[in-house]
Amino acid sequence: MSPAGKASPAEIEITKDLTLPKLLLWTARRYGDRKVAMREKEFGIWRPITWKEYLDNVKYLALGFTALGMERGDKVAMIGDNRPEGLWAEMATMCVGSIGVWLFQDCLIDEVQYIIDHSDAKFLVGEGQEEVDKALSIKDKCPELERVIWDDPKGMRDYDDPILISLKEVQRLGREMEKREPGLFEDMVEKGDGDDICLLFYTSGTTALPKGALLTHYNMLKMGQNLMRVDPCYESDDFVSFLPFAWIGEQMMSISCGLQAGFSINFPEEPETVLENLREIGPRVMFSSARLYEQMVRTVQVKYLDASFTKRKTYEMAMNIGYRLADMKFAKKKIPWWWKGLGYLAHITVWKKLRDHLGLSRIRNAYTGGSAIGPDHFRYFHAIGVNLKQIYGQTEIAGISVLHRSDDIKFDTVGKPIPETEVRITPDGEIISRSPSVFKGYYKMPEETARTLRDSWLYSGDTGFIDEDGHLVFFDRTKDIIVLSDGSRFSPMYLESRLKFSPFIKDAWVIGDKKPYVAAVICIDYGVVGKWAEDRGIPYTSYPELSQEPRVYGLVEKVVRQVNKGLPKAARIRKFINLYKEFDADDDELTRTRKIRRGFIEERYRDIVEGLYTQADKVHMDTTITYENGRVSRIRTDLRIAEVPLEEEA
Amino acid sequence: MYLPCGVYHEKYRQDHAWWQTTFVRAKMIFLFLLLLVIIPQFANLYLISVANIVGYTILAAMGVQLLIGYCGQITLGHAAFIAVGAYTSAILMLQYGLPYPVSIAAAAIVAGLWSVLFGLPSARVKGFYLIMTTMAAQFITVDFVITQYVSKIGGRGHYFSLPPGTITVGPWVIDSEMKVYYVMIILVILCTFGMANLLRTRVGRAWIAIRDNDIAAEAMGVNVVKYKLLAFFVAGVLGGIAGAFWISSLFFVSPEHFTWSWSLWLVGVILIGGVGTLHGTIFGSMFMTLVLEGLKFAFMPLSGVYPQLLEKFLYVKEAAFGLAIVLFLLFEPKGLAYRWWQIKNYFNLWPFSY
Repeated sequence: MSPAGKASPAEIEITKDLTLPKLLLWTARRYGDRKVAMREKEFGIWRPITWKEYLDNVKYLALGFTALGMERGDKVAMIGDNRPEGLWAEMATMCVGSIGVWLFQDCLIDEVQYIIDHSDAKFLVGEGQEEVDKALSIKDKCPELERVIWDDPKGMRDYDDPILISLKEVQRLGREMEKREPGLFEDMVEKGDGDDICLLFYTSGTTALPKGALLTHYNMLKMGQNLMRVDPCYESDDFVSFLPFAWIGEQMMSISCGLQAGFSINFPEEPETVLENLREIGPRVMFSSARLYEQMVRTVQVKYLDASFTKRKTYEMAMNIGYRLADMKFAKKKIPWWWKGLGYLAHITVWKKLRDHLGLSRIRNAYTGGSAIGPDHFRYFHAIGVNLKQIYGQTEIAGISVLHRSDDIKFDTVGKPIPETEVRITPDGEIISRSPSVFKGYYKMPEETARTLRDSWLYSGDTGFIDEDGHLVFFDRTKDIIVLSDGSRFSPMYLESRLKFSPFIKDAWVIGDKKPYVAAVICIDYGVVGKWAEDRGIPYTSYPELSQEPRVYGLVEKVVRQVNKGLPKAARIRKFINLYKEFDADDDELTRTRKIRRGFIEERYRDIVEGLYTQADKVHMDTTITYENGRVSRIRTDLRIAEVPLEEEA
Repeated sequence: MYLPCGVYHEKYRQDHAWWQTTFVRAKMIFLFLLLLVIIPQFANLYLISVANIVGYTILAAMGVQLLIGYCGQITLGHAAFIAVGAYTSAILMLQYGLPYPVSIAAAAIVAGLWSVLFGLPSARVKGFYLIMTTMAAQFITVDFVITQYVSKIGGRGHYFSLPPGTITVGPWVIDSEMKVYYVMIILVILCTFGMANLLRTRVGRAWIAIRDNDIAAEAMGVNVVKYKLLAFFVAGVLGGIAGAFWISSLFFVSPEHFTWSWSLWLVGVILIGGVGTLHGTIFGSMFMTLVLEGLKFAFMPLSGVYPQLLEKFLYVKEAAFGLAIVLFLLFEPKGLAYRWWQIKNYFNLWPFSY
């Protein structure tokens, strides 16, 4: 509960020699026991860990790793939820000079095996029993894997495989090592060089097999520095770490900015309690995927629908004021004093409280990245006074290359390049960028590297353009762009995010490339639509049944019509279908960062696509679903196709 | 507990603190200022005397709240323990010349022990039968022991008179409503804080467990008899303090001050305030006292037209009490404390409903 630091923090000079562990050593010595480096919510309180404790844990872990035979350049795979131990393991790996490979905690066994095998990981650090089970079942197929380290003792009593060792035991080995060879740790850290590879990121490719991007200490440090040159972070800031460490965005905040700014990282109690814990901490900086923001808006809209009359009307008035003010801000118009007054009124009556509910009452900068957020969502957050900014970047450029500036936000762009970064558009419209953070190449994939990295320019595979204000407009993945019947090019992602602004729609998939018209496959939100149906006495037993209910179709149609308004005729959605299930990353329909894998679902739902472009009024589906525990079940159902009549321009 | 965004704790001590946010702290400081400075400065004598009655009702009802609201032991004889406290304090001061604070402490202990004596049957009986035994406490204590024997001590006859100047704390003579107000405020604050803290200790949790389900509590290892007797003891102590306090505003002590209807009235106070909440006790006491005073104001002008009203006011009061209980049980069965909670929630959840 410390106030925001006002003084601009001193910038750290990043030499080619500096590494993340060296920075950790320096920061930890500077703060010692006087400042909290991280907190973890456990047993109802936020257990603090000071910088000294952080360093000690990393130190003994690193020495323990050495005792187990880890050498410079080895790969260490890590899997688990966001916990201090995960970050310790990662830093310890870097201290030894090894390379960390993070895996998404909900990865299926085949993905785990592929990544461990492909990265030649010698060690695997898993959180608990679940990860250990995964490791044990693949150890025969991954000959390089030598040791599996676990941390959470729950359920681990009967495991006696010699490959297993606990994190505590590793730290004990580390302490012994320290007694035998004092100063070894400092030597190891000293050996590091800025151009050493520190992390190997497997990109959650929307098309092919995951590719491993190699990033150096210098890449990571420069990226953090350049981000903070735009939006400084202060040592008094609080940050909540809840997105997977395997996502570059989380590494960017927790490691790159965290170590340089020295702010406190807070770890939620459980993945399920993230929103609640976020609200307790009230972070000042936040970086999350569009998913979370969409979820917030959805929650608000549902609660709004259930609120009493007075509350609803007050909310509506405040939101109208907010939208007007946000639009004036986007247009960079001078705001007249009476609007400022109204804005203040709306702030004290509604927005303040609303932000408090969302856990955003202390937020200074909220970033969204990964996938584009819809313009409606974007306007919404600015209307309630949350400084939401778009980040554009790829794992290959250490996460960020383009960012909105606080006083220069346009909701249809992703902003301007950060310092030391150049962004250009190739003649065929591809976005290319160059900066000190551009990666070293893909691990064991020279052809892919050559294709992506040309003359130190990073070819992103995204289409976009630079507008008259110098803002980059990200259109879509080049291969995703659809060509409409009238020959114009259109971004399906835009339509999808517009659709998703409705609380009733969880996911949408828009099709129409070289087709006579645009069609959509909709996944309704089970919770919200379920509540809606309950309120109206519509009976249902399951998601498939609810999705096929005619009145639910009516509900979705209303949303589609709303979205169709103001769209060019060729881009309007003419037909849609309610899918019998939600898209799921376990079915490979989404990436682990929850982006739609178009190629895959087009293949999988070929019948639906065909049905949408015939005169048929229903599609018969016969398919299988894989559950997270590997169970497979078969589904046979009929899906109704709804047609949306074209409304004439008024 | 509702906390705003951005309030988090690194230690259990902070997590258990009563006042966690600046807003709450400011609110409490204002409340203390109001009670200790603003009211004594600006209120007139009549308001102070009403405040004293409210304070006395709070102290008296707190023991009832503990027994009924937190331990589930229904009592209809609490006035007996208040009487024990009042008489103990009076006798110690008049006969032995002990200072007032010492007599309050002694009164609390004696009333507590007396209460344990009548709590003993609670080890075996529950519900209606316990109500009967507590009523027995009322009649045995006030109508028999005090009226027949205690009142005769020192040959004073029916009542003990307390001439002004009898009650002193050191050189400070409590002889005005204003001074009684200060004694009242200190005692109410001390008792409220003590109770609030006691209720979240092992003891308080044991009481609540017994209230919710005594068999389950026993199965979980709560010594039911011990904790029930402890509840009677603490309730008696609170009653004793209430009684010892009340003599400071009286000129004489008589058994008529502690009738069975006063026991009943106290149960009404917690019903209206909210069973099982501490601030329900305070809300109930304020409501009952202020409504009564309001009624007086409403009926005074009418007495010109109907002179009988003045003499029959006692019946109006009883009728109003009955009506209030009936209306509350019908429309606000969870009491004023619940309404207070709902009002707070309305704004805490703003602009939503959940």
